[in-house]
Amino acid sequence: MLEIKDLKAEIEGKIILNGINLVVKPGEVHAVMGPNGAGKSTLSAVLAGRADYTVTGGEVSFNGKDLLEMSPEDRAREGVFLAFQYPVEIPGVSTTNFLKTAINEKRKYLGLEPMEATAFLKFMREKMELMEMDKALTSRSLNEGFSGGEKKRNEVFQMAMLEPKLTIMDETDSGLDIDALRLVSAGVNKLKDGERSFVVITHYQRLLDYIVPDFVHVLYKGRIVKSGDASLAKELEAKGYDWIKAEVEQGANT
Amino acid sequence: MAFRFLIYNFTMLLQTIKKDFIQYKAQAEPGNFLTLREAAFAEFEKLGFPTTKQEEWKYTSLKSITDNTFQSTCEIKSLVNDLFYASIESKLTANFLVFVNGSLVNELSKIIEKDNSIVISSIATARKNNQAIFNHHFGKYAMVEGLAMNALNTALLSDGAFVFVPKGKTVEHPVVIFNISDASDLNVLAQPRNLIVAEEQSTLTIVETYYATGTNASFTNVVTETYAGKGAHVEHYKIQQQAGACYQNNFTQFFQEADTNINHVTLTLDGTLVRNNLHFYMNGENCNSLLYGLYVTDNKDLVDNHTRVDHAKPNCFSDEKYKGILKGHSTAVFNGKIMVHLDAQKTNAYQRNQNILLSDDATVNTKPQLEIFADDVKCTHGATVGELDEESMFYLRSRGIPEDVARKLLLTAYAVDIAEKIKIPELVELLEQKIDGKL
Ligand SMILES: Nc1ncnc2c1ncn2[C@@H]1O[C@H](COP(=O)(O)OP(=O)(O)OP(=O)(O)O)[C@@H](O)[C@H]1O
Ligand SMILES: [Mg+2]
Repeated sequence: MLEIKDLKAEIEGKIILNGINLVVKPGEVHAVMGPNGAGKSTLSAVLAGRADYTVTGGEVSFNGKDLLEMSPEDRAREGVFLAFQYPVEIPGVSTTNFLKTAINEKRKYLGLEPMEATAFLKFMREKMELMEMDKALTSRSLNEGFSGGEKKRNEVFQMAMLEPKLTIMDETDSGLDIDALRLVSAGVNKLKDGERSFVVITHYQRLLDYIVPDFVHVLYKGRIVKSGDASLAKELEAKGYDWIKAEVEQGANT
Repeated sequence: MAFRFLIYNFTMLLQTIKKDFIQYKAQAEPGNFLTLREAAFAEFEKLGFPTTKQEEWKYTSLKSITDNTFQSTCEIKSLVNDLFYASIESKLTANFLVFVNGSLVNELSKIIEKDNSIVISSIATARKNNQAIFNHHFGKYAMVEGLAMNALNTALLSDGAFVFVPKGKTVEHPVVIFNISDASDLNVLAQPRNLIVAEEQSTLTIVETYYATGTNASFTNVVTETYAGKGAHVEHYKIQQQAGACYQNNFTQFFQEADTNINHVTLTLDGTLVRNNLHFYMNGENCNSLLYGLYVTDNKDLVDNHTRVDHAKPNCFSDEKYKGILKGHSTAVFNGKIMVHLDAQKTNAYQRNQNILLSDDATVNTKPQLEIFADDVKCTHGATVGELDEESMFYLRSRGIPEDVARKLLLTAYAVDIAEKIKIPELVELLEQKIDGKL
């Protein structure tokens, strides 16, 4: 599904990703952890196609296609979805209109007819129930005046609507209350079908109790410095990052 | 010299008007109308056309107007009917006063208001039928001293709308003042003059709209005076869509007594040169004045919005928001003056001007002007000139929405924010389609 080879990226001359290697196969869930400023959001942004970053090296292929060559909209329509760490407020664009546009643009790209208005509304209602989204939220402007938790839930709601092949969640669990965390996880688990894959960026083991990862990676100074199974997350929760940082420094010195 | 020819035309016109007036005077009650207009013309002659040497006209040159000749004509063509019926405004359930080149077209005008005490007519009719009210208010609010274009309008006004709403009455349906410049045969000049009197506790909605047809140039110099009696509520929407070589100078004056609410929206969607002068004078406490504007400019068009809010009494509120979208080589000017007089304690005045430039060749000149003489006031202002928000663009694109569609979604949202200040949903919906088509 996703193959990242020696990916390097910088912003304003500052190197942020310094040789990332990661392979995500269909149906897999990968957790990416790591201290603040390690480059996790940068990795997700580069994968989604944010123009602020300059890719200085490496390759990313998505289902055999060169992801880095594609515009952000094409990546999305090919099936990549990024749940933002900080979703943007867009006054004047209703969530409903936004999602209808997004879904129909994707269908157009795939050579499908646009979704009928009634079918769309029915589909949306289903997903709203799944995410326990209040009707008032979707009729309002996109994320405008939403609470932090509501914004995150709206991201997962959008994911449920767009049914991506690969979802990258950037700290979707931060700022969620216990019930919302359960809902968000349910949203993800519902979408799991053995084909769809997930890259879950998080700081907390908590989320991984609900969305059990196949692999856990630690990103530090723009590199994946350690990988393991779900137990690695538990170890990090207990011990923090110092031992990993020490390992890295030691590795650098030898 | 073209300029002299123009004056020559005006002088001829003035003589005609003088003759008309002498005739009128001979058979009707005496009044000061002629004196008023003579004085106005003298003022205009003294001032001449505004030039860019004057601070208020620094960025807006009228040379393209003064280098042209214009005729006043009242011949009505049938294609004017087509234009009217194709317009979005004509779809409204409303009262219509339709003017072509400044003259009333009876066949297209239609008053559906049932209450006979409410007057919706032309100025010409009002001067006969509602003389006392007319004389009491006419020329009292839109000053001519120092304002050349107002002086010119007052001296040579053609016709216009007269609306009178007596105390406590509500006008059920909007009053649409529908102006068409028909420049099919020659360059045309129209100087419409509107007088709106909303007495104490009355409610009224005005839709003032401008269209043009024909390949010659047109120049519209219009003045609208609105008097809002104590507690009156006036909704006033101005929609400018004059396509072609169209020049317009628009002066709108609101005079507010205590406890009045005025909600004004200006949408400028077309026009080669549009200069709007929007003035509010709060003559009593607890007034609310809302001023909203949207301009979408293209080509070499110039849209200039000069606004002035006079907080003359305490405890009044004004909120102003003007937004622009500029394309091509167009220019926008915004000058927002807020005068807080010595007496006007507890004033709340807000002003914003936002501009989105879609072209490197477009220019914005924006200037807030706050003159505050009272000490206990809250005033804020801000102006921005920029491009579409990149974060928002990326967010939309990351959901599979192509760049051009995303841009349009954001621009429409930005523009509709202003259009939605109009409280006639059918009209807003049609305008949104219109705006969408422009973006
Ligand atoms: N626009 C930018 N300009 C300069 N530096 C930037 C920019 N964006 C990110 N960085 C830097 O890149 C580094 C990685 O940032 P990133 O947001 O990817 O970290 P993160 O791992 O997601 O951290 P967190 O856990 O706090 O979310 C940080 O040092 C950050 O300051
Ligand atoms: Mg981050």
